[in-house]
Amino acid sequence: MKKNRTNPPKFFLRFFRWFCHPKLRNHIEGDLMELYDERAKESGKRNADLKFITDVLLLFRPGIIKPAEGYKNLNTYGMYKSYFKIVWRNLLRQKMYSFIKVGGLAMGIAACLLISLFIKDELSYDQQYLNGKRIFRVVGVVKNKGEVMAFSTFQAPFAKSVKDDYPEIEQVGRLNAVELFGAGNKEFRRADVEDNSYDEGFAYADPTLLEIFQIPMVFGNASKALDAPNTIVLSKRKAEKYFPNEDPVGKLVILNNDEKNPLTVGGVMQDYPSNTHFQFDFLITLKGKEFWPGEQTSWCCDNYQTYLLLSEGADPKVLASKVTASSIEKYYLPKMLEDGVPNAREILKNAHLEFQPVSNIHLDSEIKDGLSHGNRNTLWLFGGIAVFILIIACINFINLYTARSANRAKEVGLRKVTGSLRSNLINQFLTESIFFSILSFVLAVALAAALLPFFNSLAGKSLTVPWSDWWLLPVFLAAAIVVGFFAGLYPAFYLSGFKPIEVIKGNVARGSRSSQMRSFLVVFQFTVSIVLIVGTFVTYRQMNFILNKKIGFDKDQVLLLHGANTLDKKVFTLKDELLRLPQVKSASISDFLPVRGTKRNGNTFWNKGKVKIDRGVTGQNWEVDVDYIKTMGMKIADGRDFISNKSTDSLGVIINQSMAKALGLKEPVGNEITNNNGDGKQYTVIGVVEDFHFESMKETIGPLMLRLSFSPNIVSVKVNNADMHEAINSITDVWKKFSMHQPIRYSFLDQNYAMMYQDVERSGRIFTSFAVLAVVIACLGLFALSAFMVEQRGKEISVRLVLGASVKNVFRLLTFNFVKLVLIAFVIATPLAWYIMNQWLQDFAYKTEIGWDIFLTTGILSVVIAVLTISYQSVRAALMNPVSNLRSE
Amino acid sequence: MKKYQLGEFEEVVLLTVGVLYDEAYGVSIKKEIETRLTRNVSVGALQTALKRLEDKGYLKSREGEATEERAGRPKKYFQITALGKRAMEYTKDTRDELWSAIPNMALNPKFVEE
Repeated sequence: MKKNRTNPPKFFLRFFRWFCHPKLRNHIEGDLMELYDERAKESGKRNADLKFITDVLLLFRPGIIKPAEGYKNLNTYGMYKSYFKIVWRNLLRQKMYSFIKVGGLAMGIAACLLISLFIKDELSYDQQYLNGKRIFRVVGVVKNKGEVMAFSTFQAPFAKSVKDDYPEIEQVGRLNAVELFGAGNKEFRRADVEDNSYDEGFAYADPTLLEIFQIPMVFGNASKALDAPNTIVLSKRKAEKYFPNEDPVGKLVILNNDEKNPLTVGGVMQDYPSNTHFQFDFLITLKGKEFWPGEQTSWCCDNYQTYLLLSEGADPKVLASKVTASSIEKYYLPKMLEDGVPNAREILKNAHLEFQPVSNIHLDSEIKDGLSHGNRNTLWLFGGIAVFILIIACINFINLYTARSANRAKEVGLRKVTGSLRSNLINQFLTESIFFSILSFVLAVALAAALLPFFNSLAGKSLTVPWSDWWLLPVFLAAAIVVGFFAGLYPAFYLSGFKPIEVIKGNVARGSRSSQMRSFLVVFQFTVSIVLIVGTFVTYRQMNFILNKKIGFDKDQVLLLHGANTLDKKVFTLKDELLRLPQVKSASISDFLPVRGTKRNGNTFWNKGKVKIDRGVTGQNWEVDVDYIKTMGMKIADGRDFISNKSTDSLGVIINQSMAKALGLKEPVGNEITNNNGDGKQYTVIGVVEDFHFESMKETIGPLMLRLSFSPNIVSVKVNNADMHEAINSITDVWKKFSMHQPIRYSFLDQNYAMMYQDVERSGRIFTSFAVLAVVIACLGLFALSAFMVEQRGKEISVRLVLGASVKNVFRLLTFNFVKLVLIAFVIATPLAWYIMNQWLQDFAYKTEIGWDIFLTTGILSVVIAVLTISYQSVRAALMNPVSNLRSE
Repeated sequence: MKKYQLGEFEEVVLLTVGVLYDEAYGVSIKKEIETRLTRNVSVGALQTALKRLEDKGYLKSREGEATEERAGRPKKYFQITALGKRAMEYTKDTRDELWSAIPNMALNPKFVEE
């Protein structure tokens, strides 16, 4: 019988078997065969074949074809689905614990995200240049008696001479941003407009600088924009301010009312991104510019930042050492020998040049270049704080997990009994913690985005979340998984280690097995918190110290009028008019003020006749007027103040105590000193002023000389204790009489002074925020732990209460354990905080003490915070009706 | 919302399963429909409908005997479930309701002469 059987076309049968859903395959194939058999008998094989083929083809439809992803669960997808279901149920059942778990972690992660943005921004400086790898700035390093000093300014002819000497140097460009030369701020106006308007960000630059940096131009051509003498390039935003909707190229502009020397606009640059060290809105060409006759060829004075573009493949280190050797031999040594500097060779032996990659400029803060820098130490500090806060948050996570393990123990036991392997359970708990971590990340991103404006004002930045960057999502996801993995690792191993029999019998000591580990983690959390609290106190104390220290001058009630230089000699009349006002005590015309952002003039000083013999003293040479010391409220320590109309005072100078000491003068008055200006002038010391702080307190007070001269940018006005508002009004009226076309611009000396310490204030605020955050997260954890403990010891407490324990007894019982941990943390944190903050204070030449009272306050504060956190739960437990807990048995 | 999802062909198949009672499997259902309704039914269409009805819970199936004509493959017998019965009744009721709602005029139009 079998032999007679005809078979359907093999190919189609096989095709059917291939595509058909396995669950349907057997009986449909049966049907097909039955029909085929029947048809073959009725109308022959050929016909039956044809019909069979049609049937097979018509069966090829969605309901019959097996699903693409497979019909059997070859993966553990279903298992994971159940894990998630369990997590979700647990999350909803224990709302408070879940909230603390997720919320605490989210806060930690948000802090981490913000700090990462900050660090990323700091590291992104000066990365945008096309030739960035080949752009360098020349830096000089001098070692003197173990002290290393680095500077970035060089003599005018230095750039050209190294370019001529070395073909590997493709381009050189110089930048002069020295305020003494007129860089910085200026009064600006178009030639066809009368009103001046104040602007900042002026600098002198070589035409080549635009090409080295490849600054994109909106108008004009980078290679020609500054080629002609007396040309200027504006940034786009400034061009839009002064020349809205027009092409300013070829237009004339006037600076500081100097109508005899108008400048021609040579081009408009694209605005720089904020993360570049090179932030100037106005570049004036150095072509054909000489600040004084012979200045451009003189090796006397170093005022030029020198940028290099090296050719492809040139080794900056090798080249720098070659340039060091040759420039010393060819230029510096002859010049110093000519000047008669003693032991010139020895000085130069300890000096060398370095080529600093442009991308390092922002973070190399120890180089004195007048730019605002980031700071590598700050980055490390921030990064460290971020990591620690994240760890604190993860600890909460771990603690809560293990503490509540008793509640999960039955689940673990049952799973094991029904055949779950330990690895499955580990998998489950890791999945849970990763789920929590992803949840926290989502929350954290929202939190970070919401807090970003606050953080920006804190850090003095304008950061944004790079939402549109492709890497954002994968990086966050990866980070979430990593955080979840590490936070879940310990709990996963701990929980999965339960023995099923014991658990189901109920023998697991409820959550006590890991209490040592938990105590350790709580101690860690509080140690970090206490260190941060001490940091906060110390920074604030240092800030107060700076702001209230005797600084040697009286910064209060002094108004600074800026931009008076446009009045030229009329400024004297202005001063006289101002003095006539009843509110004005005194006034002084000088650009040299003891706050940052005013003029400085570094010189070398010698005692008379010692120029070629002694090494000289580096110090400041300030141009002031007769009323300067009076207006600034400085004190004369020896000799006398300047006297007006006394002709001898034109060569009479007042020095500070530091200068007297540096020059070795025991009785300075009457001595003669000289500087390196080359004019051979000898100054007679007529008085000594008490040392006053004119730089940040990070530096010691340097030598200084005051002499009478004319520097009319700023008029300082000391106002009587009268109403400041009224005084300003009358001063404004006077100003209007003198300068119709220039609105009055003033600031206050004490505010300028406080600005110098913005970074200290900023670190104070940052410390505070992080300390608060760390304490909050740690307290969240403590709160949850105490709640858990009360829950676990509910019966014990009830029995105690029944047997007559007072509320106080119970409170003490529940609180003491935690307070002990905080005290241990305090003992650990004290030396640590002392060491760290001492390091921080090393930055300051004048610093406050870290007194024991700071530690005492911190200790009391942290214990109080901890007790307050726990007390809610303890008091609740102690006031509970014991019956409600005991009734169930 | 439709209470019971039942397409026209599905209804036919369901009814046929009922007609065949204990003998309803692929080939017999196909033949029954073909003879009763004189319409061609492809194996594909039928099997899809059967699967869908089973998924919806209107039919349940049991494995049957394997015969030689079927090359040793088992038969799969279908049976109407309670839910299937309710679905059928629902469909019938709605039809009846609609039938009874049609006014006489609509089906037996009489033209009034002038």
